[in-house]
Amino acid sequence: MIQSFDPRMNRLGLPDAPVTAATKTALDQFGTYEVFHQKKDGAPYVYVGPVHAPEADVAFLFAKEQFSRRFACTGMWVVPTAAITVTDYVGDQESAYDFLPLLPKSVAPAPGNADDTAGEAAAYAAGEEDYDIFHLKKRGKAHQHVGKVRASSPAAALQVAKAVFGEQRPVVNVWTTRSADVLRSDEEDRDIWSTTPEKKYRDAISYKVQDRIEKFKAENK
Amino acid sequence: MYGSASTHDLPTTATTGLENEDPILLAEFEARIARGEKIEPGDWMPALYRKQLTRMIEQHAHSEIIGSLPEGTWITRAPGFRRKMAQMAKVQDEVGHAQLLYSAAETLGKTREQMLIDLINGKSKYSNVFNYPTPTWADSNVISWLIDAGAIVNQLANAKGSYGPYCRALDRICAEEAFHLKYGHDAVVHMATGTPIQRAMMQAALNRWWPAIMTFFGPSDKMSVHTEILMRWKVKMASNDECRNQFLDMYVPKIWEIGLTLPDEKLAKNEETGRWEFTEPDWEDFKRVINGDGPCNAERIAVRRAAEENGAWVRRALLTPKTQYVRPLA
Repeated sequence: MIQSFDPRMNRLGLPDAPVTAATKTALDQFGTYEVFHQKKDGAPYVYVGPVHAPEADVAFLFAKEQFSRRFACTGMWVVPTAAITVTDYVGDQESAYDFLPLLPKSVAPAPGNADDTAGEAAAYAAGEEDYDIFHLKKRGKAHQHVGKVRASSPAAALQVAKAVFGEQRPVVNVWTTRSADVLRSDEEDRDIWSTTPEKKYRDAISYKVQDRIEKFKAENK
Repeated sequence: MYGSASTHDLPTTATTGLENEDPILLAEFEARIARGEKIEPGDWMPALYRKQLTRMIEQHAHSEIIGSLPEGTWITRAPGFRRKMAQMAKVQDEVGHAQLLYSAAETLGKTREQMLIDLINGKSKYSNVFNYPTPTWADSNVISWLIDAGAIVNQLANAKGSYGPYCRALDRICAEEAFHLKYGHDAVVHMATGTPIQRAMMQAALNRWWPAIMTFFGPSDKMSVHTEILMRWKVKMASNDECRNQFLDMYVPKIWEIGLTLPDEKLAKNEETGRWEFTEPDWEDFKRVINGDGPCNAERIAVRRAAEENGAWVRRALLTPKTQYVRPLA
């Protein structure tokens, strides 16, 4: 049996050498979700990283623990990785919108007009939906939410986004997802984000090590 | 942060496989790196780049998760409630770092299941220092301060590397480090400037850990196999000896100023060359331990395996028919 300095390990009664090689079944580590957070009110949602989770609610819990434990935020979104459509990556000086595949004329959408309420209702009735659009401005940085468009498919959403946001440059990469696939934190729950003030022991600033060093040096001259 | 970038089996020029790569794509890839652009998961990349990065990020992730064990063991016995809470917060950070790094490695194509299997079957490596025990609270403090400090030297260099997902993970990791370093330093100073018994305990722990700390950055440059390509591709950002020298420059004075000594009579800075001189670490012993024959290798792997196996039924119960794995995007 493994002998450890830690009594808890000893209580596990672990064998010295495993008898068989370890294996794992598919999805042992769950599926994947992509997480975005908002640093402060009014700021755009920014990509912070993926989490593994069996479903969206659990993904949200894991994301909150992973990405807001240390850095305060005012909101969080999680999206199943599979729900995000990704364009090709282009160079830091280019626009990914210039490299979109051309859509056949019949499915190519007209740019949505936000003021056109009647047209909007008709579009939704005809099966169009909202899509969230995220841009990567520079390789190595994080995708950032730029807005929503209305379209009938991810490919069409990218075309609409090109019309609406295509002026922005550079755009190294674009992500789009149906807005319905985004699990968003609720404004009413915003007190869940204020978890840090009483946990001073987690802040570098609460360790006054220099005072103690100076005192030691003064006493040991 | 615990990672050490010492990839122990770098390729020799004979096995790079570069001759099989499309020369045009390879030239574009190298030009992108040369002009300072990052590589992102959707890009073409040489098989060797993918392989080395996967191995490096995966090893780093394993180091975080295994490295949390020798400190985690002291949570329940840390002196005082505040230190228990702080130790717990630090260990939680380290496990969080592993999560970030596993995801970054996954963007290169290896699944998390496979990485965890390779760890618990002993196929993948992790930082060799965690094959040593923490018999006292002071040993845990040495890890919190000096192993983290060493890792920071490595990771600040690697955060300037060429692979986007790894850089993003390291940026987050480094941001959490200010606390770890201060916390560790505070704990060591507290003991070193405390009662004679506390002081002796800290000195003994430092003596135990110093040989391992000196190997933390990996074998000496003169022993390392070819790293030219990995430097050019910005996979490896600084040589082992450069990192070691920088660490000694930053931390030996801080150790000495609190009246602690280091168990190496040769240790001194050569002011002419700016390089530290020291007794060459026992690299044969290093090799022996990293290949499985250290005081804690079996325990670390067994504990990790037990955690995986004991939690498997919970993970199975949480799965839904809709759960779907897709490689993380970035």
